[in-house]
Amino acid sequence: MKQTTAVHTQKLDKNFGEVKALKSVSLKIETGQIFGLLGANGAGKTTLIRLLIDSTKPSSGHLTVSGFDPTKGKRAIRKLIGYMPQSPALYEDLTPRENIHFFCQAHRVKNISQRVDDVIAFVGLSERAHDPVYKFSGGMKQRVSLACALVHQPKMLLLDEPTSGIDPKLREAFWEHFRELTSKGVTIIVSTHQMNEAMYCDRLAILHQGVLLADDTPRQLLWNNRSRIKIWSGEQVTEKDLINYPEQLPGELQSYGLDSTVSRIEIEEDTLETVVLRMINEQEAGHLREAKDDQYD
Amino acid sequence: MTNMIKRVGVVTGRVLNQLRRDHRFVGISLVFPLVIIYFIKVVFDALASPSFNISVYVVPYAAFIIHFITFILTAIVLVRERTAGTLARMFVSGYNPIEIVSGYLLAYTVLATVQSLLVLIELNWIFELGYDLGQLASIYLVMWVLAIVSMAIGMLVSNFARNEGQVFPFIPLVLLSVILSGIILPIERLPEWVQALSFLTPLYYVNEVIQKLIIGDGLFDDWPKLIGLLAYGLIIVSTATLSLRESD
Repeated sequence: MKQTTAVHTQKLDKNFGEVKALKSVSLKIETGQIFGLLGANGAGKTTLIRLLIDSTKPSSGHLTVSGFDPTKGKRAIRKLIGYMPQSPALYEDLTPRENIHFFCQAHRVKNISQRVDDVIAFVGLSERAHDPVYKFSGGMKQRVSLACALVHQPKMLLLDEPTSGIDPKLREAFWEHFRELTSKGVTIIVSTHQMNEAMYCDRLAILHQGVLLADDTPRQLLWNNRSRIKIWSGEQVTEKDLINYPEQLPGELQSYGLDSTVSRIEIEEDTLETVVLRMINEQEAGHLREAKDDQYD
Repeated sequence: MTNMIKRVGVVTGRVLNQLRRDHRFVGISLVFPLVIIYFIKVVFDALASPSFNISVYVVPYAAFIIHFITFILTAIVLVRERTAGTLARMFVSGYNPIEIVSGYLLAYTVLATVQSLLVLIELNWIFELGYDLGQLASIYLVMWVLAIVSMAIGMLVSNFARNEGQVFPFIPLVLLSVILSGIILPIERLPEWVQALSFLTPLYYVNEVIQKLIIGDGLFDDWPKLIGLLAYGLIIVSTATLSLRESD
């Protein structure tokens, strides 16, 4: 039977000593999606990815990856996944070719030489394939690192900030390739703190200080939030918040009909960045309130 | 099993390939022991007296130098693998601790083979030891085993260090092994509780076997100590493998 849920977490907690890196995170990631983990540094994105590859154990809660519990079925999971860590994690004395070859051998890839050529060409490093990695810039190392994660054509890709330090043109190519992979049924879980990249995802989880603030499609996240309409009619300027802009807008404009005094209409939509910042501020304000309440209890 | 052997071979090949490029690491591993031994020669020449039997000291001292340098370099290299994230990546790619530890040990054994040989050639040459070929071959074998055991100790220590700096607190323990091994003073002259601790250092077994070889005994004449060294190595390799954490 085909597995439709790639990842399922229930009330997942991870503590590092006193630090609570993840607090009761419940998520469901469907197969074949690009699922984005969005949040600032320290939000818990990397911790969540590390839990999925069993590089760290949960403090409490439950999670499955392709139906397997990572703590019990890690061998099975590791055959299915490709992992690109935040730091390049490469052997710097070796060339990209040698690095990629090593991980091909680990995964027992067939026709290794051809596969190495293919992934090197994909990340645009054919010209530098025989130079040692220590001579590379940060962005180039990221490219080699991504190539290493792709070698065995995994069913699930876990990418921890894959495009940091990469030029816009190549970034575009990466996302095109990610989209191509998902069309073949590959699930991609990608962490990022870049809002424009988050819009490429099918679904987004917004994390802040280990708390899951939202889990929705980027479009829905934007629609659920505020937009503003500003209408200039004669000397008068009317401003209004629109809660559900696409559905509320016609009603708002109906009252004006085709009034010739209306000289200008502006609609200010929240950007994803504004939405995320608002969520963070609301969460922090909530925390502050809780802390104050505790003080007076 | 065949797959595991193949994967050990892949790790060994990768480490050897890295060593081939890392001239500094190979240089330090091979040249430093030779330089230190030369300085020991300078000191011993200054101490020269007819009643002073140099050979009782120089071979065990050389063994200690191999032990110390090999331990520290291996520990640092493996900690570097952990901090760079490549160790986690190896685990995610399906390698298990046995394959990783064995792969590293095999690769570094090549280095240990060359290192022990160079040290013995230098010792024989500058100290004019005058041992026969059988004695030299036996001493070489013991030093070679010690170098491999020292690497395993380095691996074990690296499992408990989060960064290179955390390796350094372990150095005094290695230095303590000089006292506990009987290289400076015969262990019979030390308090009994200190003698009991001597079993915890590989240098103790090495020194005992080497002292017998120097006076012309055969390699297996003191076989319990030789077996002790091998058992010690096996325990350390097993502990290093079992304590190599895939996750925290």
